[in-house]
Amino acid sequence: MTETLMPGGGVARRPLHFIVMADCSGSMKGEKMQALNYALRSMLPHLVDWERDQLQAQLLIRILAFASSPHWYVGEPVPVADLSAHWRNLEYVPMGRTNMGPAFRAVAEVLSPDRLERRALRPAILLVTDGLPTDPPGGFESGLAALTEIAAGRSALRLAVAIGRDANSEPLDKFRSPEVPVLVADGTDEIADRLVTASIAVSRMSEIGVNRGALAEQLNLAEPTRRSQPDVVASPGATGSFEDIL
Amino acid sequence: MTTVPIGGPPAGGHADPVGRTPEWLVLTGSERGASHVAVKSPNQDAVATERAGANGVVAAVADGHGHPRHLRSARGSRLAVKIGCQAAQEFADRIEQNSAFIAQREPAATAGGQADEIAAAAEDFLVPSIVRRWREAVLAEVKADPFTPAEQEQRHTGDDEVIAYGSTLLLGIALRGWLILAQIGDGDVVGVSPQGGSVQPVPDDPLLDGLVTTSLCGADPRSDFRIAVVDTADQPLMAVLLATDGYGNAQVVEQWPDAFSQDLAWMLRERDLQWLASQLPAWAARCASSDGSADDTTVALIVSAAATVLRASATPAKGAVDGSEETTIPALPRTDTIPAHVPVQPDLVEPVTMRHLAHRPAPEPVILERTVARPAGREPETTELVIHEPDTTDLVSREPTTNEIPKPSQGEGGPERHADTDGSGGR
Repeated sequence: MTETLMPGGGVARRPLHFIVMADCSGSMKGEKMQALNYALRSMLPHLVDWERDQLQAQLLIRILAFASSPHWYVGEPVPVADLSAHWRNLEYVPMGRTNMGPAFRAVAEVLSPDRLERRALRPAILLVTDGLPTDPPGGFESGLAALTEIAAGRSALRLAVAIGRDANSEPLDKFRSPEVPVLVADGTDEIADRLVTASIAVSRMSEIGVNRGALAEQLNLAEPTRRSQPDVVASPGATGSFEDIL
Repeated sequence: MTTVPIGGPPAGGHADPVGRTPEWLVLTGSERGASHVAVKSPNQDAVATERAGANGVVAAVADGHGHPRHLRSARGSRLAVKIGCQAAQEFADRIEQNSAFIAQREPAATAGGQADEIAAAAEDFLVPSIVRRWREAVLAEVKADPFTPAEQEQRHTGDDEVIAYGSTLLLGIALRGWLILAQIGDGDVVGVSPQGGSVQPVPDDPLLDGLVTTSLCGADPRSDFRIAVVDTADQPLMAVLLATDGYGNAQVVEQWPDAFSQDLAWMLRERDLQWLASQLPAWAARCASSDGSADDTTVALIVSAAATVLRASATPAKGAVDGSEETTIPALPRTDTIPAHVPVQPDLVEPVTMRHLAHRPAPEPVILERTVARPAGREPETTELVIHEPDTTDLVSREPTTNEIPKPSQGEGGPERHADTDGSGGR
């Protein structure tokens, strides 16, 4: 048998960066924070299973806790199995506000072209919040613009879970990817279900060759509070570029 | 369209172009991605090689888009490499018929202008020809084989027929001392200098952010093509890799072209062509596996005959490397490796792809450690060292009934090695 020498330093699966933006503002005190921690812990094994069963991606997760300012709770991308094995609960920030703009900028920074691997799959961002943004005027919009101005942020699968129907706000509609609805948890007991749904969306919609439009439709059907959704799958850009699914 | 000529006039000017013209050969490998195997979709990549001009070669690789919208992209990529090679052959003929380019190469002071002229000619003839013929071929195929109702459901409302066939194309023409490179869409073109430096001659496209790609099926594919012309008399290159993005997306090292070039230069120094030919299918298989990008992966390596040694040792190449579901038998060892004095074969056969019964994971290869010097004594017993160049490169052309590489024989002048004077290109 001919030996094989592989030039170039070796191969590996493509990284899929999954960033959880967790609202740790003061309003999350008590039952909500407990439920969010439980939900995150419950979500991780699903992602571990998916990562094991699929062929394409190495799932790397970060967690950004945000309140008046953002804080990387898990700053370096870690394999999801490692995080699942060493989970530590998030804590709310007393008197903390819900400033999303700086949090978007923090995410944009780690997804910038000089930070993100060229071969990375399009990332996924999950925003979990119980309230409206409390940014100063223009702060939310400028922060979101910073995220969507970079290619990875713009193309990322952006999911939002609203804890409480009041949190399903226009700002979350601006944040989310057009093809997926805001997932609403009416009570703390539904947070885990919504995060599992979100994790399924993250995993399945990141798979190569998948029909994202059909998956998004399934997600819409499963989410009774959905808003009207445009058909945005793989439209060519003005310059004639096409979605680079393998 | 972006066009960049590479290499200005050499310090010493051009020597006799005929005497210095290197010969080129092409090795290929292609493998269906593990993710495609899982969902029973075909290898949407394609590869083709042909002779170009009197003794040049052309290699083409293409990556059909994977989105369901591009439901016939495997056919689109096959058309792309076929048409790309045909257009390249005609372009090579034009170049060779132009005495200003070949017979009377200009002196050093204006040699850079020749690269400009060839690049302009590629822009004016090669690219429009490919774009037009590919579109015509697609439309003819749709007319002959209309979309089925099921396919119609996959198409988007208002889509041009060609969108179903969407594909990239990377084309490399090695002609005399020129390397003419054209690319639309993602993928990588990496030149390897004799010292192991890498150069990526084709200009970057800011549209290619890793998430979207330009395409032959785009609105203005002519303007999306990028062209580079390398004068190897000025910028010696011992090899050029054309790879679909399944290769680069599998590489751990972010600056993998540098690492690849360093390793390949070592391989070309220390191993023989027969061995190298057996490696490319394994490289493709490794990248296409679930340990890599899981994407279809296709590579074509254009190698200067002066950079390696065709050895008389006769262990047949194991083209069907274990673990590779598809193995492309290198096409050029039986065709375009033939020096000019060997009679031309009129009809070339496309690389032969053998399909194994079941997909298996690619074997774990040895990863080269670039930081450690590689003394010749480290060679494994299974591979003989190249300790000197053979006296001849008189090849025997044969049909690919086996993977055996044609063997050199005695009596002809040996291949010319590039002068070891080039600085690495760097990215």
